[in-house]
Amino acid sequence: MRVELQINGEKSLVEIKPAALLLDVLRELGLQGAKRGCETSHCGACTVLVNGEAAHSCVVLAARATGKEITTIEGLAQDGDLDDLQKLFLKFGALQCGYCTPGMIMAAKALVDRNKNPTLEEVRTALDGNLCRCTGYTSIFKAVLAYAELHRKE
Amino acid sequence: MDCELTEPHSMDEALNVLSRYGRDAMPIAGGQSLLVMLRNGLISPKVLVSLENLAEIRGIEATQERKLCLGAMVTCSMLKASREIREMAPFLAQAAGKVASTPIRNLGTIGGNISHNELGADLPPPLLVLDGEAECRGLKGLRKIPLREFFRDYFSTSLQEGEIVCRIQLPSLPAGARGVYLKHSTRAEDLAMVGVAVLLVPDGSEGKRISDLRIALGGVAPVPFRAKKAESLLGNKTVVSQEFIKEVADTAAGEADPITDADASADYRRKMVRVFVRRAIQQAMEK
Repeated sequence: MRVELQINGEKSLVEIKPAALLLDVLRELGLQGAKRGCETSHCGACTVLVNGEAAHSCVVLAARATGKEITTIEGLAQDGDLDDLQKLFLKFGALQCGYCTPGMIMAAKALVDRNKNPTLEEVRTALDGNLCRCTGYTSIFKAVLAYAELHRKE
Repeated sequence: MDCELTEPHSMDEALNVLSRYGRDAMPIAGGQSLLVMLRNGLISPKVLVSLENLAEIRGIEATQERKLCLGAMVTCSMLKASREIREMAPFLAQAAGKVASTPIRNLGTIGGNISHNELGADLPPPLLVLDGEAECRGLKGLRKIPLREFFRDYFSTSLQEGEIVCRIQLPSLPAGARGVYLKHSTRAEDLAMVGVAVLLVPDGSEGKRISDLRIALGGVAPVPFRAKKAESLLGNKTVVSQEFIKEVADTAAGEADPITDADASADYRRKMVRVFVRRAIQQAMEK
């Protein structure tokens, strides 16, 4: 079946199998920031935003995402200039191998876009669908809280 | 995954497709359990029938008589955030907030949650103590199934082929009712190893008497259930003493029929029923 997907602000017509998963479709389109991890909705490496809300793209039918705004990690940097949250992940050393990072960043985006003054507990809850197996979570939480603070100043 | 997808725009159309394909068709709501089961090869439908476009099974309604009507497509995130639910049954909102993780709560629905009947799902225990009723629709018409009779066995409910859950109806609660849901799990995002919902109604006259006691358990038997023997220990003049709470908790543990798996032994689960029932009653009394 042919569907129109709006990804990172751009519309594209894509030929998909009816039950194709959003993660597979994104990766076939060359958007490989959303990672294949557990593929059973535990690890969050595949997290993208669907209408601004965090979703595990391994358990979203691509057909269901038509008519909705899909945002992936590739949609954040503008003209090669990293997004503030990406810069803060670097500054706080909030990544090691980097496999979980796109998912972490998208889940954190979903939070801060709605709540510019999150508590640590709210950050933890927003990231409860994302596993990191390298660094632990402390630096990640610090980066997200710093990002929220930056947003409040703007 | 080679299966077809239909996206009906009316209930009639959805029921017709489900009936036409029989066992080869499965309704899909949020897909958060179903797509994982599909990937793991536990199910192999030929047609998925999306319920997403059915406006009539969306939304949360609260009536003036303080009844709640929850559309099957209401997500856990909506339950968690709903002003009506936080006001009328706050422990249901809290239970919704304990389901899996944020992305799953954003898409996973109440209808899907009860229809899958996964062991340790968080929503059934609070819905059971709220005396919820599932409104189910098939080509033959509407059936109202009390949730107490809805859950039949592991991953199995009394839904018939071609039938879907449309709404969950919750009657109004007695004035002053207090509810608590406690979840015991290794990781927060897991299904509950033990899930306990308690609802009680203080007698008003004195602090230590109650006029109603309801207990539901999840994760510790083939189906989530009301611990009727434990509930029946409440008599007319019962004072809620530590001894009484202990007796209720012991009785509830005796009603559990848990399994041993990688997370915990049956024996441990039974012990935790005792601990968490006691804790839930205490917390409800202190509210």
